[in-house]
Amino acid sequence: MAESENGSMALPDFGDSIDALTFEQILEMDDDEEDREFSKSIVYGFFEQADATFKKMDSALKDNDLSALSSLGHFLKGSSATLGLTKVKDSCEKIQHYGQRKDVNGNPTHDNDARCLSLISDTVKVVKADYEEVERVLKRFYGDTGK
Amino acid sequence: MRFDDSMDRDQAMGGGGSSANSSSDFVRKLYKMLEDPSYSQVVRWGDDGGSFVVLENERFTKSILPKHFKHSNFASFVRQLNKYDFHKVRHNNEETGHSPYGSGAWEFKHPEFKANNKDSLDNIRRKAPAPRKPPQVVDEAVPTQQMDLVNTQLVATQQQLQQLQQRYEELNIHNSILTQELIGVQKTVVNHEHVMQNVMNYLHSVDARQRRDSKIGGPFANAEENAASSANADPAQQQMSPLEDEPASPLQNASKLLHEMSADVQLNYKNLEHMSEVHNRNGTISTPPPDGRHPRAPTSAGSSSSMGYAKLHGEQDAVVYPVGQTNGIDPMYSEHIHNIPYPMPSKEEIVDPRVAAPAGRKKSTQVDPGWVRAPQILLVEDDQTCRRIGSKFLYSFRCAIDSAFDGLEAVNKMNAGSKYDLVLMDIIMPNLDGVSACHLIRQFDHTPIIAMTSNIRSDDISMYFQHGMNDVLPKPFTRDGLLNMLEKHLGHLKQIPDGMEPMAQHPGASITQGSGGHSLKDESSPTQSPSTISNWQSPGQFSGISPTQAAPPHQYMHPMHSGFGQEQSPVQYQPPHTEMGAPRQMQHRRQISEIGSDDISNDPKRQRMYDQANPMGMQPMTRPR
Repeated sequence: MAESENGSMALPDFGDSIDALTFEQILEMDDDEEDREFSKSIVYGFFEQADATFKKMDSALKDNDLSALSSLGHFLKGSSATLGLTKVKDSCEKIQHYGQRKDVNGNPTHDNDARCLSLISDTVKVVKADYEEVERVLKRFYGDTGK
Repeated sequence: MRFDDSMDRDQAMGGGGSSANSSSDFVRKLYKMLEDPSYSQVVRWGDDGGSFVVLENERFTKSILPKHFKHSNFASFVRQLNKYDFHKVRHNNEETGHSPYGSGAWEFKHPEFKANNKDSLDNIRRKAPAPRKPPQVVDEAVPTQQMDLVNTQLVATQQQLQQLQQRYEELNIHNSILTQELIGVQKTVVNHEHVMQNVMNYLHSVDARQRRDSKIGGPFANAEENAASSANADPAQQQMSPLEDEPASPLQNASKLLHEMSADVQLNYKNLEHMSEVHNRNGTISTPPPDGRHPRAPTSAGSSSSMGYAKLHGEQDAVVYPVGQTNGIDPMYSEHIHNIPYPMPSKEEIVDPRVAAPAGRKKSTQVDPGWVRAPQILLVEDDQTCRRIGSKFLYSFRCAIDSAFDGLEAVNKMNAGSKYDLVLMDIIMPNLDGVSACHLIRQFDHTPIIAMTSNIRSDDISMYFQHGMNDVLPKPFTRDGLLNMLEKHLGHLKQIPDGMEPMAQHPGASITQGSGGHSLKDESSPTQSPSTISNWQSPGQFSGISPTQAAPPHQYMHPMHSGFGQEQSPVQYQPPHTEMGAPRQMQHRRQISEIGSDDISNDPKRQRMYDQANPMGMQPMTRPR
């Protein structure tokens, strides 16, 4: 009467903030699914990167430095996209665009700097919230209950 | 003794990774844990020694797991068991209804995992990871037949999805190639202009000399010169040049240029032709490979998006997908894909764990594309996350990787004499961006350089090519996309095309390998290319594809919008090599000359050129959303 129950032993549902296909192709690179050494170090490396980037964004906001904000947005966009962190990536892309005085879709606008900065400031709040959400999900996934 | 041997083997097999002998490490730890009598209240062997039982889940998770497995996550423990093909023992007995070990107990078994039989542990191996699948809910009540049908459909759907993805990537690549070719053609046109100018200048000078000479002319020359001067109006004047004492250098110059140019044309011609071959070959990939294990697997492409291809390849018309788009699962919509309510057929159906060669175990994460030697890859990327993941993927493709933090470091490395087979180059980087780096590298080296970027608008891409890049890998890159790129540019480092036949064991992997693995078969399919040629001109054929534009599941598909138009043009050059003669080239040039010289190398106007290149109403496919 023994029966297999393992058909559905897939990875947990990461919700819509993480693109499962993208993230799973990284998980597949783990040599050992017990400690998930590789993906874990990537993800935790990303956490550090994100924290550092957010700090830089905050100070660039204080300095009204649009171009710095744009390149910080671009920077975090790359790594978040590679991990499949869709929401974070989208917000970063917005910051990148606003910093270049463009609209959400990357088309040039005539917004003045103050307007661009306020858009960025709002988006930075959003991206931080998005980030906290994925951080929580990912930490839970890696069995990190601390904090 | 046997145990020791097997440890060695494990170590050898685990290969590479930092946690090398992982394959049976887990099982040995598990066995060791069960040997400890002090745990018997919490976890112990089953009564008959053929299974083991976790009696107290909570205590087990909190106190025993951390000691033996460095974590305290029961689900993860179960998942791991699962990986090694342990099954939970379920007691469906109607009368008792629950486990003899108590209702909270979890009993697991594996046919090779027995108390007092350490040797058989060697037979327990990690299962190959299942293809990606969303979480599912299994309704046990559904009759198995129906389940089979659904499973079969699902396999078919997933195959379609994979094929479509692959196809998108191919199209993307072709788009890039075409852009590159167009640039070459533009250069040719520029050269042509120069040649014409040279010829004109020369003719003018000859003309002037003729007039002067005919006035001053010596007694010798007179007769001839006079005769010639009457022919002055005729450009056939070149006949005269051997008669002149001075070498007709402008003319020589011009003819030299002309010669170079025609060589260029031939070169481009071949590239394009090669590309169309690739294109045709790939076209057939949309027919899923015949699969012995699933004789009933529908081979088809019935969903709206694949209809375009189905029409292109007449042979598929007969195949009907069992469930229509409306009530089936449309592979183009990610919501569907992520919420498929049925499981994939369980792994056992596909590969019997014990029959499969042990080497096949780790295969799906360790793809060996069959290199003659490990390709040397330089990965230029400022973002450590991308760099590490990229390196890991490359490593899994058996490549040797070097990396550079920015363009400057890359240029320095190459300038210092490091030789690579391929360079993967991010575009936006501190200190020196990828395009400038490529430009510099091109002054002294011709290693293929691939741009890795999320900026893939057509004007960006043409700029990359103008500065000497060979291809574009859109970010975020996928493992398959990366592999395709390697196979495309490092074909010369591969052994035998079907070197990875064993891979076909895994349905997912066999698709991944598609372009390499099936080419042989496809080349023998004579109907393929003619049907492509005869159909391509009708815009109607492509209307079916546009839905994909509306809901692209992946960002990297975006560049297709300009790709489709261009995709078609190589077909013009499709006819066999032998027709490569003059008439065709003439036609080629005539078309280009219509473009007008001011468009050349003028990015903003480039778009206009694309318009001309695809006069069949493809333009509505502008940027999605």
